[in-house]
Amino acid sequence: MFSRKHTRKIYAVLIIAALAFPLISNNTYYITMLCLAFIYMIVAFGLNFITGMTGQVNLGTAGIFCIGAYTSALLTTKTFISPWLALLVVILFGFVIGIALGYPSLRLKGVYLSLTTIAFGEIVRQLVNNMTDFTGGAHGVRAIPPYCLFGFELNTKLRLYYFLLAVTIMFGLIAYRIIYSKWGRVFTAIRDNIDAVDTCGISSSKVKIIAFTLAAVFAAIAGGLYAHYSGYINPSTFTLNLSVSFVVMVMVGGSGTVLGSVLGAVLVSILPEMLRFLGNYYQIVFYILVFICTILIPNGIVNVFLERQKTKALPEKN
Amino acid sequence: MLKVNNISTYYGKVQALHNVSFEIKDEEIVSIIGANGAGKSTLMRSIMGLVQPKEGEIVFKDEEITNLKTNKIVERGIVYVPEGREVFPALSVEDNLEMGAFSKKYSQRILSNKIEEMYDIFPRLKERKKQLAGTLSGGEQQMLAIARGLMSSPELIMFDEPSLGLAPVIVDDMFEVIVSINRQQHIPIVLVEQNAFEALRISSRCYVLENGEVRMHGLSDELMKSPEVKSAYLGG
Repeated sequence: MFSRKHTRKIYAVLIIAALAFPLISNNTYYITMLCLAFIYMIVAFGLNFITGMTGQVNLGTAGIFCIGAYTSALLTTKTFISPWLALLVVILFGFVIGIALGYPSLRLKGVYLSLTTIAFGEIVRQLVNNMTDFTGGAHGVRAIPPYCLFGFELNTKLRLYYFLLAVTIMFGLIAYRIIYSKWGRVFTAIRDNIDAVDTCGISSSKVKIIAFTLAAVFAAIAGGLYAHYSGYINPSTFTLNLSVSFVVMVMVGGSGTVLGSVLGAVLVSILPEMLRFLGNYYQIVFYILVFICTILIPNGIVNVFLERQKTKALPEKN
Repeated sequence: MLKVNNISTYYGKVQALHNVSFEIKDEEIVSIIGANGAGKSTLMRSIMGLVQPKEGEIVFKDEEITNLKTNKIVERGIVYVPEGREVFPALSVEDNLEMGAFSKKYSQRILSNKIEEMYDIFPRLKERKKQLAGTLSGGEQQMLAIARGLMSSPELIMFDEPSLGLAPVIVDDMFEVIVSINRQQHIPIVLVEQNAFEALRISSRCYVLENGEVRMHGLSDELMKSPEVKSAYLGG
């Protein structure tokens, strides 16, 4: 069993491994896959607050990710502003969506967030798909410029890899700080016993909105990074399926922990490659694995090894 | 201190409280007794804003709090320790205590002092401070729920069936703790109980609820002698 001290060592080993990986492997394909995994990690770090810790199922992350991606892509290709400036707009949008979608859906207890977020994700995708003049419709947006850092264009796989790694570490640190702050404790308390949160003098709906807004901001930023990583985006990426994958990352990897999101994001982005030999059976095998994991280890893989959650999974109230 | 004037509360179409009035003064222990479903918890929940009364008003320290949100009511100084030991099972004992002080924005030093104060009152909690609350015994969880309530330095505490499901020996300890909170910290206490004998014993005044109405109220000593209370709540 690992304590918090041990997990610090694990993070150190992981970061060193990630730094060394391109030196060992020249396979650009794996490097590209890992870049995507880094972007997914940032989404998972955010989603962990609302779904992993607070226990509110958010199935609209792909929609927020999509808005982040298109905002940055359209701003940089149509108005030619710097991707960095676009990133500020993306953060603002994430914040606004978080409040505007979270406020009406989270004041109620229950499954409402799942429903409103599913609807939101689909509305965004349909709009992007059909507002052809503005978004390029099904053809998507092409030739999205890369980020520039200290005069270097991040236009090679290797530069992109280290840039995304650095950004992911930064967001991982932010997420870690939040998880172990008093806010993190309140997030967990909501999943644990929402009525008691109110009797402690804390507005549970306000806390849920904060967790949801954090998730939205993280997802929007990751979407912006995705647009410039990919160079080309189209609406077919941002489906409900992607939203479900994000939830799988958080819950199967290990809810309530940064390490769980890291593991979940790597699994979900790499596993398809490892299971490729299964051909058309890939999807069914993947979901059978998800099924088994959920039943046997409802708190996720990482929490099996963490001291913190020695007790059995507690039935969710609410 | 707290005055409830003619409140009526409904769950959907079912009326749970009919024109209930009730009052507690400074430094008093007031008990509310009644059978299951008499409306005791509904009265507590109405005061705390966990359900909204349809009619009537609730006044705390001369200010109306009738339609305030629960967290605002806690901020004004009323703490509710709900029935069924509502702790946070997946948080440690210490984290549970800190949750109770969340709305107060204490400095780190005041917070640790406050926690130490709780450990003085409840030494068992100190022994178990790193343990998850879900692994505590029923009595310990109830003590934790009380301690968590005290963390925000309340001006009024309302206990909802604190003796429910506890072993008799622990029930005695519990009532002793409640009395000492009242005597030593001068906090007025509303005690909702099915254990009518204990409730009457430690309170100065008592209200008897029946079917959502106040059936009787008066000094606890006098109610203890009333034949009606005797036959209905004290087993003859």
